[in-house]
Amino acid sequence: MKKNLILPLIAALLVSSFAGCGGGGASSTASSSTPAATSTPASSTAEASSPAEGEASGDDLAFRKFDEPVDVHIGMKVSPIDTTLPAGDSAEDNQYTRYLRDNYNINVIVDWTAAEGNDYNQKVSLAIASDSLPDGLVADDRTYMVSAAKSDMLYDITDLFQKYASSQVKGIMDSTGGRAYDHAGYNGRMVSLPHVSVTSDGVHNLNVRKDWLEQYGLEVPKTVDDVETIARTFMKEKPAGENTIGITGPSKSGLLYSNFLNSSDITHSYDPIFQAYDVYPGYWLDNGDGTVSYGSIDDNMKPALERLASWYAEGLIDPEMGTRDNSTEPVNAGYAGMWCGPWWSLGYGNGDAFVNDPTANWQAYPIFTDDGKWNVHMKTIGKTFCMISKKTSEDTAAAIIIMYNALVRDEATFDTSVAIGWYPLRVVAAAADEVDYTANELVKVLNGETEPEDYNDPLSIYKLLYQDVSKVRNVVPGYEPGRELNVSDFSMDNLGDFKRMYAQLIGSRPYASTTVDKAVYSVTYSLTETMEKRWSNLKKMEDEVMLKIITGQSDISAFDEFKTNWLSQGGQEILDEVKALL
Amino acid sequence: MKKRINVQFHYGLMVAPGLVWLLLFSIIPMVGIVMAFQDYNPGRGYWGSEWVGLENFEYLFSMSDARQVMINTLIIAVSKMVLNLIIPLAFALLLNEVRLVRYKKLIQTIVYLPHFLSWVILASIVLSIFGYRGVVNTIGGWFGAEGRIWMNSASFFRPLVIWSDVWKEFGYNAVIFLAALTGINPNLYEAAAIDGAGRWKSIWHITLPGLISTVVLLGVLGLGSVLNAGFDQIFNLYNPMVYSTGDILDTWVYRMGLWDLQFSLATTAGLLKSVVSFVLIVSSYIMAYKFADYRVF
Repeated sequence: MKKNLILPLIAALLVSSFAGCGGGGASSTASSSTPAATSTPASSTAEASSPAEGEASGDDLAFRKFDEPVDVHIGMKVSPIDTTLPAGDSAEDNQYTRYLRDNYNINVIVDWTAAEGNDYNQKVSLAIASDSLPDGLVADDRTYMVSAAKSDMLYDITDLFQKYASSQVKGIMDSTGGRAYDHAGYNGRMVSLPHVSVTSDGVHNLNVRKDWLEQYGLEVPKTVDDVETIARTFMKEKPAGENTIGITGPSKSGLLYSNFLNSSDITHSYDPIFQAYDVYPGYWLDNGDGTVSYGSIDDNMKPALERLASWYAEGLIDPEMGTRDNSTEPVNAGYAGMWCGPWWSLGYGNGDAFVNDPTANWQAYPIFTDDGKWNVHMKTIGKTFCMISKKTSEDTAAAIIIMYNALVRDEATFDTSVAIGWYPLRVVAAAADEVDYTANELVKVLNGETEPEDYNDPLSIYKLLYQDVSKVRNVVPGYEPGRELNVSDFSMDNLGDFKRMYAQLIGSRPYASTTVDKAVYSVTYSLTETMEKRWSNLKKMEDEVMLKIITGQSDISAFDEFKTNWLSQGGQEILDEVKALL
Repeated sequence: MKKRINVQFHYGLMVAPGLVWLLLFSIIPMVGIVMAFQDYNPGRGYWGSEWVGLENFEYLFSMSDARQVMINTLIIAVSKMVLNLIIPLAFALLLNEVRLVRYKKLIQTIVYLPHFLSWVILASIVLSIFGYRGVVNTIGGWFGAEGRIWMNSASFFRPLVIWSDVWKEFGYNAVIFLAALTGINPNLYEAAAIDGAGRWKSIWHITLPGLISTVVLLGVLGLGSVLNAGFDQIFNLYNPMVYSTGDILDTWVYRMGLWDLQFSLATTAGLLKSVVSFVLIVSSYIMAYKFADYRVF
């Protein structure tokens, strides 16, 4: 009897598991080409194609409108919490895709979408594994790009790029001293369009609630000792009640410090603390004598780790560090007193904190060594890459380069009430010094030394500068020369403008106005051959031991054990390999 | 012959989706096993990639990680397997003694509800219960206990994973035992009662022996999944601080394959798991026949 029951039961189970799989179908909406109002971009196209400089013929190609529609198939990452897309629009049919169709005759076709983050990365790695890259696809990590290049799946755009890239884009590439070309290349050929991000993305500051500092009569922090004193006072006085957090820590998937693979845009790490100890974990360091060392196994890590561990034990560091889903939550809720992050982490990064409490006076500061030096580790060119499939036609590849040009030139003119993330194959290129340069120019405009009209140059490599300087006087009505800006000096009427100005004027102030005493680069920012095999093992070992030491689950002797294991399980081999790169 | 097909046609229809599924998702992808013996390069595909023999296996065994991951997998999976037999059995026996039918049905429904929730949802519930300001710490606080960070404690993680799985599944697993219980001849109980046996005696001498074949059967069949320690559960609960006790084969393969793009190594680990599981399934088939007189096929 039992046996008779089991077969139908299994069948029923299988059917129900089928039903569960049906959900994730691609939502391909027929693109009803409504001739929508794409306001300004059209006019700026006209402006740009009129020969402004000697390069005009090149820029004609760079913004060329194809005679016949060119289809570009892409995979797209979407934000699951985005609410800015108007009803009726889709990933395939929105103001950005219409802009591309109307101005360049580029027809974007979305083959699949995936939620940003792990889901998207999974899709990308599967697309590589199954050799089914769409025409254009953004890789969020260099590992993916290199993996695809190594498998010979990418279009060699070395010549095409020279032909189609706009002078503006080339200017940006050159602002990196040519390093961007290597970064986007493989074996000497250019195989992807790189994200070129601003240098300050990799400069991590300490963000502090200055209103709390003032409340308890504390000075602005300069050294690690100051940070400790401040955190201790915060935890004693508990300005946010029982929920008060002195210093936040990384989330579940976060990092304790940036590393050579993720060298920028890390939030809630302890980079500023490690740098103040003159240690650079996660970086391959050139010792200057032909040898290379790995920052994480430097013996000087010990005092830094012990310091952090003592903070954790005392409760100065968020006790839930390493287990939270999102560490910015307590910042936005007004519980946190200090946290670390790059320039954009203030304003862009914690916009809700100001919405919830308009008096939260977050300020960014550099942390110095005890003898007053500011050490900063530097990032690589950028994180993401636009990969173009080898199977693509030349026209389509050119179209993708044009999309890249167009984003650089026209981003400032878009109506960004629809999130810019909907721009297909969005890979940002910005001049390396854009943020700090802008910050300094903004101050000049606020001081009345220059006028916004002085910056009106549509082909400037500082693509958003003119727009920024035009707005700044409205967004910061409370500015007074010679006084540090506070949150109360800003107007929050337009939240988007507020966030941007806050990030630029306050978040990037440390890097724009402080001299870097020691800039540290990693010898390499990508995996070597042995690393490809062994890195995940070594990395896991490192993540685990560092977190355990700081949270007090292991004492500092675990560090020596880690160092020995690290060297014996492939670390030494990798060090030799990296040394050969010098 | 034709008649036989007609009689069995509806069975065939019921099995068909399962067979198609099996073919699509289990048989055809087997081709990918070759990756385990290659330095797989997706651009060159299965036939163009370089063959490396058993190198991937050698490397796998040389990794300090692999042993830890294997131990974690076994401990977690075996504990789950054993507890998922004992707890539902005990529960089914207790529930069987309840005389109020409505109450019995109600309990049965409530306890098997968690089975239908996905771990994605349950994990966030578990995380918030054991969070720093969660229920557990709050209640502990009333009795003066210090708040603890449960989720970063390596020693706590395994019990948490095992017991939360048991909690999720025991109601559902008990259904099988309850079904088997109804199969026991009521005359036996009557006879025992006449002979003067109390409740305990009749459970011991009638109910348990009546269930023993089901228990053995489930235990033996469970052997095949001894390396399945529950990917979605652990993936949603763990963090780097509990890798030492919580990282299992499946999560390791996932990180290796999809984060680090080590396709060959991930396949090797997966293949290894499949081979071990296959051996266990075959032996469980033989054992099921031997001890429970049950043939799967």
